[in-house]
Amino acid sequence: MSETDETLLAQMLKGDEVAFTELYGRRQGPVYRFALHMTRSVPSAEDITQDVFLALIESGRRFDASRGTVLSFLFGIARNHVLRRIEKDSRTELVTEIDEHLSDGSLMEDLTKRETIEHVRCAVASLPPVYREAVVLCDLEDVSYEEASIILECPVGTVRSRLSRGRLILMDKLARHVVRKCV
Amino acid sequence: MTDDAVRGLLRELAEADASAKAPPELELRLRKEFRAHHRRKSWRSLGFWVLPVPVAAVIFLAILTLVHRRPPTESANGVSINTPVTISSEQALRPETSRPAATTPAPRASVLSAPETEEVVTEFFPLMDPAPPFQRGQLLRVELPASVMQIVGLPVREEHLADPVQADVLIGEEGLPRAIRFVTFEVR
Repeated sequence: MSETDETLLAQMLKGDEVAFTELYGRRQGPVYRFALHMTRSVPSAEDITQDVFLALIESGRRFDASRGTVLSFLFGIARNHVLRRIEKDSRTELVTEIDEHLSDGSLMEDLTKRETIEHVRCAVASLPPVYREAVVLCDLEDVSYEEASIILECPVGTVRSRLSRGRLILMDKLARHVVRKCV
Repeated sequence: MTDDAVRGLLRELAEADASAKAPPELELRLRKEFRAHHRRKSWRSLGFWVLPVPVAAVIFLAILTLVHRRPPTESANGVSINTPVTISSEQALRPETSRPAATTPAPRASVLSAPETEEVVTEFFPLMDPAPPFQRGQLLRVELPASVMQIVGLPVREEHLADPVQADVLIGEEGLPRAIRFVTFEVR
């Protein structure tokens, strides 16, 4: 049976490198993707992921299990770094290629799908940060509203309303894209 | 477009990016940093008393052994000591990395018998933190197991932990070891 994140964290704080590697391997993906969707920049996502786990090494003792999971703790650190970066550097390098996995369908279908996904990715990245983070966490990373409220430091109701508003903006952006494509 | 359609598109995006992850070299960098952090931490956590205890114990054992072994001319049974040298705080705290064997304050037959070697010393590692004011003290040359180097944070390979190494121990006026430095001999 695999160890919980909390157990791994406790072990790594005692100097267990294997526990750190296991925890990193388990949680770097969500942290990296969160940073990537928020900044739409591969170098920034890498930097933020590094900063998050460095912070865990240095200040992992600040984790309080009564206030959420280890993952929400990591998302919280990532969010702080993301917001600082967005504020500091509004011009970020665009992601040129993320999706390299074509499905088994026809080439045209694949291209259309890739194009659609890329457009959704652009639309998400163009959301105001306050809505973007709610959409990225809840819709892309499958974080519960309760956990999102801890990460975003706001009530659950606020998470819901930000998510709803974010989806409405997306709906508008994506609908315009479909119209443009059809014209 | 409906809310369900937007959610569907977001699900597609989530699936497409599900395998996105940080590059492998990042893990290597972080593991390196993890090791460095815990080395620093274990060094700091030794604190005021814990650090001197193992070092002081070894050093006092060495000195005690030597008290009963006169004259202390050569190393034997893992412990040797030279004539105590009284030094001032300025001398003791001056950083030094290399010096010719001829400048050592007391004659050391075992060292000087090899005329083509040069004595190379490390910096002093404090054995008390914080250290009380230091006015005068004695510098003693002793031979200790290499494991003592590990205690002060120097890297020693496992297979060399029992090897003898020479060290200069700075003894304060109150008779407690204040600092230690290690000595090697390099062929010129």
